[in-house]
Amino acid sequence: MTLSISFPSRRIFFFIAIFISCHLLADDINNGEKLFKQNCTACHMIGEAKLVGPGLKGVTDKYEKEWLIKWIRNSQEMVASGDERAVKIFEEYNKSVMTSFDFSDEEFSHLLAYLANPPEPEIIASKTQNNATNEGMRLSTKLMLIALVLVTLVFLLVSLKNNLKSALGQETETIPETLIGQYTLFISNNINILFVCSIFLIVVLKFTYDGLMGVGVTTNYQPTQPIEFSHKIHAGDNGIDCNYCHSSARNSKHSGIPSANVCMNCHTYISEGTNTGTAEIQKIYDAIGFDPVTRNYIDGYEQKPIEWVRIHNLPDHAYFNHSQHVVAGGLECQECHGPVEEMDVLYQYSELTMGWCIDCHRETEVKMEGNNYYTHLHEQLKEKYKGEKITVDKMGGLECAKCHY
Amino acid sequence: MKNNKKYWKDISQLRDDPNTEKLAHNEFPEQLPLDEFLSEDLSATSTSRRDFLKFLGFSTAAATLASCETPIVKSIPYVVKPDEITPGVANHYATSIYDGRDYASILVKNREGRPIKIENNNTCTNARVQASVLSLYDSARLKNPLKNGVGIEWSLLDVEIKERLSNIKSKKIVLLTATIISPSIKSLFDKFSKRYNNVEHIMYDAIPYDGILNANMKSFGLRAIPNYHFNKANVIVSFGADFIGNWLNNDYSTDYIKGRNPKDGRMSKHYQIESNLSLSGSNADKRIPIKPSEQKVLLSDLYLSLSKGKGPTDPRLFEIVENLQNNKTNSIIVCDSNDTNTQLIVNSINSLLNNYDNTISLKEPSYIKQGDSDKVNNLIQEMQNGDVGALITYKVNPSYNLYNAKEFNQALSEVDVTISTSSYNDETASLMQYVCPEHHNLESWGDLHPSHNVYTLMQPTIAPLFNTRQFEETILNWLDQSDYHAYLSDFWRSKGINWEQAVHDGFFNYNDEEPNVTSIKPLNPDLLSFEGFNKEIELVIYEKTGIGDGTQANNPWLQEFPDPISRACWDNYMTVSASTARDLDLKNWNVSNGALNGSLVNIKAGNKIIQNVPVMIQPGQANNTIGLAVGYGRTKSGKAANNVGFNAFPLLNSKTLSIQKVEGEHEFASIQLHHTMMGRDMVKETTLSDYIKDPSSGNDRTTYPTFKGDLPSDKLSLYDEHDLATGHFWNLSIDLTACTGCGECVISCQAENNIPVVGKEEIRKSRDMHWMRIDRYYSSDMNKEVAKANDVSTIDMYKEMEEPSENPEVVFQPVMCQHCNNAPCENVCPVAATTHSNEGLNQMTYNRCVGTRYCANNCPYKVRRFNWFQYSDNDKFDFNMNDDYGKMVLNPDVVVRSRGVIEKCSMCIQKIQELKLTAKKEGRPILDEEAQTVCASSCSTNAIVFGDANNTDSEVSKLKKDERAYDLLDHLNVNPSVFYQTKVRNKS
Repeated sequence: MTLSISFPSRRIFFFIAIFISCHLLADDINNGEKLFKQNCTACHMIGEAKLVGPGLKGVTDKYEKEWLIKWIRNSQEMVASGDERAVKIFEEYNKSVMTSFDFSDEEFSHLLAYLANPPEPEIIASKTQNNATNEGMRLSTKLMLIALVLVTLVFLLVSLKNNLKSALGQETETIPETLIGQYTLFISNNINILFVCSIFLIVVLKFTYDGLMGVGVTTNYQPTQPIEFSHKIHAGDNGIDCNYCHSSARNSKHSGIPSANVCMNCHTYISEGTNTGTAEIQKIYDAIGFDPVTRNYIDGYEQKPIEWVRIHNLPDHAYFNHSQHVVAGGLECQECHGPVEEMDVLYQYSELTMGWCIDCHRETEVKMEGNNYYTHLHEQLKEKYKGEKITVDKMGGLECAKCHY
Repeated sequence: MKNNKKYWKDISQLRDDPNTEKLAHNEFPEQLPLDEFLSEDLSATSTSRRDFLKFLGFSTAAATLASCETPIVKSIPYVVKPDEITPGVANHYATSIYDGRDYASILVKNREGRPIKIENNNTCTNARVQASVLSLYDSARLKNPLKNGVGIEWSLLDVEIKERLSNIKSKKIVLLTATIISPSIKSLFDKFSKRYNNVEHIMYDAIPYDGILNANMKSFGLRAIPNYHFNKANVIVSFGADFIGNWLNNDYSTDYIKGRNPKDGRMSKHYQIESNLSLSGSNADKRIPIKPSEQKVLLSDLYLSLSKGKGPTDPRLFEIVENLQNNKTNSIIVCDSNDTNTQLIVNSINSLLNNYDNTISLKEPSYIKQGDSDKVNNLIQEMQNGDVGALITYKVNPSYNLYNAKEFNQALSEVDVTISTSSYNDETASLMQYVCPEHHNLESWGDLHPSHNVYTLMQPTIAPLFNTRQFEETILNWLDQSDYHAYLSDFWRSKGINWEQAVHDGFFNYNDEEPNVTSIKPLNPDLLSFEGFNKEIELVIYEKTGIGDGTQANNPWLQEFPDPISRACWDNYMTVSASTARDLDLKNWNVSNGALNGSLVNIKAGNKIIQNVPVMIQPGQANNTIGLAVGYGRTKSGKAANNVGFNAFPLLNSKTLSIQKVEGEHEFASIQLHHTMMGRDMVKETTLSDYIKDPSSGNDRTTYPTFKGDLPSDKLSLYDEHDLATGHFWNLSIDLTACTGCGECVISCQAENNIPVVGKEEIRKSRDMHWMRIDRYYSSDMNKEVAKANDVSTIDMYKEMEEPSENPEVVFQPVMCQHCNNAPCENVCPVAATTHSNEGLNQMTYNRCVGTRYCANNCPYKVRRFNWFQYSDNDKFDFNMNDDYGKMVLNPDVVVRSRGVIEKCSMCIQKIQELKLTAKKEGRPILDEEAQTVCASSCSTNAIVFGDANNTDSEVSKLKKDERAYDLLDHLNVNPSVFYQTKVRNKS
C-alpha cells in the first residue's frame, strides 16, 4: 500500500512547517535583539534618530547583507580600501571610528534579522480605567442577581400561598393583588411609615454629608500631563531615586518639579522612550532647545518651560514642608504618594485632607534616636509620658499654628 | 518706689474729655460698616424681603457650586534651574543701601529671585531702610528712558546726549548730585571731566549741614563731619540735634544705648535743649525747651562759663556746666544749627572739654554729608545768566527740596541740555529734557565709603524690573565704555582687594590715609552773642522719623508709619505748644468716632505763604515756636505720596513768620487715642540712683489681700496651667530703657508678616493693622489724687495739670500680642480659632476664624486686628497689595489674610518653625543667637530680645529673672510670654 498523505493532512503539515519557520524566525529576532542591546545601543538607535552613529531604521534595505557584515567586522579596513559608501559614512559622522565586532555568521544572521524586523512601539492601554470598569460590572451583576433571587422568591411564595389556599378551597390571589394587599396592610400602621421615613432620611443625610465632605478632596486625581511621563519606567523599572529628580524635597518645603536640564542629564543620550518612542522625549528637547539629530543645544533658542499640571494641591492656608517629613521625619515618599514606582500615569494617592494629616500625626512615632536636637526633649517627654510611645501629637504636632500661619 | 505719676496719651485725655472716657471702653469705636451697605433709605428700595432671601439663597447656592469645581493648577519648573536657587529656600545677599540720604550695610533675603526683606549686616538700619524693599517694587518708577516726556530707546538717547554734550564748548556742564560716597563714581566723574568740557560737580543735601561742615573747615581745616562716639560719653548735651532720629542720617542710637546700660552702673546723662519734641528729646534724661534764637545765647553762656570756670548766667545751665566740668574728655556737645558761627562755638566747647580724639574724632570723619548750599545758589545764578550748557542731576530733586526751588525752575529754562537720572518722573525730572532712569539700589552694583576706613559694596539682588540703567553705567556709556560691573571689580582688584570675598561679605577692609586736621583755631570772642532772643513766633523745620526728607515718600508703609511722637500718619502738620495754641485760638478736638480734628492756619514767611496747614498741639514744643516737617506735599511721586500734606522746604531758611487762623478743619489719621490702657501703670519707671540701691525699684507687683495675707496675682490663679517646662518656651523681653521709639521694628514686622496698608480713612476709624505699635506716654506730676489731697480746686488742678505738659517726660512702649499663657482671648473664641501652643505661643488660625471679634474685646492689651475689608486685590485699597509689582514683596511663608478674620502678632512663628526644622535636619540643638523674631533682629539698640526661656543659657532666660522684668498689667495674671524691663532714667 502506498503511503499517501491526504489533502487535509498535507495542509496541516504545511501549517506546522510555517509555524516552525515563524518560530525559528522569532527566535532569531530575539537573539538579535539581545545582541543589539548588549553591543550596539551605546551608539545606535533602532529608529531614525542619530546617536553617536546613525539610526538603524531600514539599514538592511539600504545596504546588502555582505556589505553590512564586512562593515561591522572591520569598518576601518573598508574605509582604507576606499569603499565609496564606507568613506561617506565615516566622513558624515565626524570620522568617529566604529568598534569592530567579530560575530559568528549565525550571530550576524540573528542581528540582521532583528534589524530587518524592528519592534513596533508598544501601546499600553490605561489599566486603571479597565480595572474600574470591571469592578463596577461586578457590583451591578451582584445587585441584579440579588434582585432576581428576590423576584423569584416572591413568585414562589405567592404560588405556594395560592396552592395552600386552593387546597383549603379559599379564593386565590394574583401576584399584584397580594402585593397591593400587603402594601395597604403595611402603610396602615403609622409606626411603619415613620420607620421608613427615618431610614430614608438617614440615607439622604449620609449621602449629602459624604458629598459635602468630598468637596475639594481630589483623591485619584489623574490629570493629563503635557508629557506622557511614566514614573513606572523611571522610578520603577530603572530604579532612579526619587530625590534625583525631586532634589529639593530634602532641602525645601517644595519637592520641586525637575527642571528640563535635569531631564537632559539622561535624555541627552536617551531620545527614545519605552512606551512612546521619540514623541514625548522630543517635548523636552522642544522646551530646552536640543537637536537630537546633531545632539547639540541650539544657539539662541527661546526656551519654553514645560507646564505640568499640579496634582497635589494644598490650600494656601496650609503650610507643608517636604524636608520636614523626608529628612527630619525620615518618611518614605511612598507613604504619602503611594506606589509611584508602579504608576505609568501619576495620580493623587492620599486624601490630603486635614483629617488625613492629623491621623498620621497621632500614630507616627517621632524618630528621636541619634538626633541631638531631641536629646533633652526626649528625656522630658519620656518622663512625661511614661512608657507610651512618643508620637508627633505629643510634641505639639496637632497645634493649629504648626501648619497655619 | 510707688509710682504715682499719671500717664496720659494726649491733651484730651488729660482734660478728661468725656468722649475719651467713652472711647477708652471700646476697642472698636466704630460700629459695623453698615452705612455704605444701607446707604439708601430702606423703605424706598424696591427690594422686598422675599427678593432679598431669593438673592441670598441664589448667591449661597452659586458660591457652593463654584467651590465644588477644582481649578487646574499649573506647576511650571525652570527650564534650566540656576544652581543657587532652590524653590522654597531663601538666599541672603550682602549689599548696601545709599539713596543719597540713608546709608546702611544690609543683608537681603531673597525668595525665588525676589528680595522680600532687609536685615542688618553689622550696622543699624532705620525704618526707611527697612521699607526700601517695597520701593523697589514701586510701579510708579519709570519703566523707560524719556525724552521730553516721551519714551525713547537707550541707544538713541545715548547718541543724542553724547553729541549734545560734546557740542558744549564754552559753557559749563554741571553734575548736580547728592553727597557722593562712592569712590568709583568719583573716578568716573574725573574721567567725565576729561572727556567733556568745563565739567563741574556740585553736591548738596536736602537738609543742609553747611554750618557744621564750614565750621570744621574754619576750626580744623577739614570740611567734614566727625565721628561721634556716644558710647564713650558720660554727658551728652544736644542743642536740637536729633541724633537718635534723623540728624546727619547717621544712626547713633546703637552707640547711645551702649552707653546707657544701668546694669553696668554707667549711664550717660543726656540733656536735650530743643524746640520741637524730637526722638532724642523724648529719650533725654533732662529736656529743656528753648526757642531757636536762644540756642546761640545758651551756647555762648556755656562757653564762657566753661572757659572762665565761673557759673553760667542762665540758671537752666547750672547742672549741665557742673556735669561737664566733671566729665572732661568724656562728654559730647552736638548742635543742629546750620549757622557756621554757632557751630564754631560748639567746636570750641568740645575742644575746651578735650572731647576731640576721645568722644569725637574728626581724624576719622564721616563722609555721609558733604553738600555745599552756597554752590547751589551760585549754580542757580549761573543758570539764570545762561552760563550753564548742561545740567545732569543724580539722586537729587531740587525742584522739590530747594528752598529756592522756584528760582531754580525758572533758571532751568536757560540751560541748553537738562538730564535727570531719577527713578521717577518727579518734580525735577518732569521739567528736564531727558530722563535716564536709574536702577533701584537693590538692582545695582556699587561701592560706598561712608566713613573713614569703612568700605561696603552693593550688589544686585534682582534682575532689573524695568528698562532702567544704573547711573554709573549711563556715565560709562557717555564715556564710550560699558559694563560698570567689570569697571567696579577692576577698580578694587587693582587696589589689592579680594573681590569675591568682598562681594560675599558686603564690605572689605581698606585703609584710608588719615586726613590732615590742624589744631583748633581759637574762637573769636565777637562770635559770642548774649542777646538776640526774641518773642516772635519762630520756625523749626524737622524730618519725621518715617518719611525723612521725602525721597521715599511714595512708599505706603512709610506713609502709614505712625510718627513716634505725634502718633499721626499720612500727614504733616504744624506742631505748636498748648499755650501758644491758646494764644492763637487754635484747637485740636476729637469727633464722635474718636478721630482727631484740628484747626487750619496760613503760614506766611516773607513772600512765601503755605495755606491751610493743619495744627497739631504738641506737648513739649517750646512756646512761641512751631515745627513743620518736610518730606510731604509731593506732587509727582506716585499715588501714595501725591498731595499728602504740604511742602515745607520753601521755608527751610525762614526764621520768623506770621500765622493766621483760617476757616475749616483738618481730619488727622492719628492712632493716638486708640488702645488706651485706662490709666493703669503699664510703664514702670525708676531712676539710676534708686536702681543702684535696689535693682527692683519701681517694679512693685500688685497684691491682693487673701486669707493667707497679701499675695500677687500669680499665686491666685484659677487656671489649669499649661505645661511650659517641656520643650521650648519662646519669650520676648523688651527693655524700656533701651527702646528709643524709632519704630524700625514696626516696618520690619510689616515686611515680614504681609501686613496690609489700609489708608488714611481707615486709620482714622482706628482700623490700623500694624501687629506692633509703639505706645508713647507723656508724664505729668499732677493727677486727681494729688489735687484732692492738696485740696486744689478743679480749675487750678487743670491749670497745674497743664503746666508739666509744656515739657513732659516721654516713654515708649512697644506692644504686640503678649502671648498670654492664661489667655483671655482663647477662652472666648466660639470656634477655637485662637489656641495655645505647648511652646508658650498664642496661636491665631485665620482659616478657622469666623470674625466674631470676641477675642479682640477680651484682650486687655488691644493687640488684635480685624480685617474689616479685603485689603489685597481691592481697588478701594490701592496700595502695594493691589499692584502686581507691589505684591512681589509678600513673604511666601505667611498667609495674606482675607476679609473678616482677626490677625495679630504670631511671634514670627514661620521663623521659629524654620529654625526648629533646620536644627532637626542638622541634628543639633538650637543656638540662642539663631532664635530671632524680626522685631528683635532689626532692633538697633537690642531692646527686644527673643529666645527660649527654657534654655538656661539663653539671654532671654536671664532677662526673665532680672529684677527689672515685669509683666504688662501683671494684676490680671494673664502670664504673658512677653515681658518688659523697667525704664531707668539717669536723674536724681
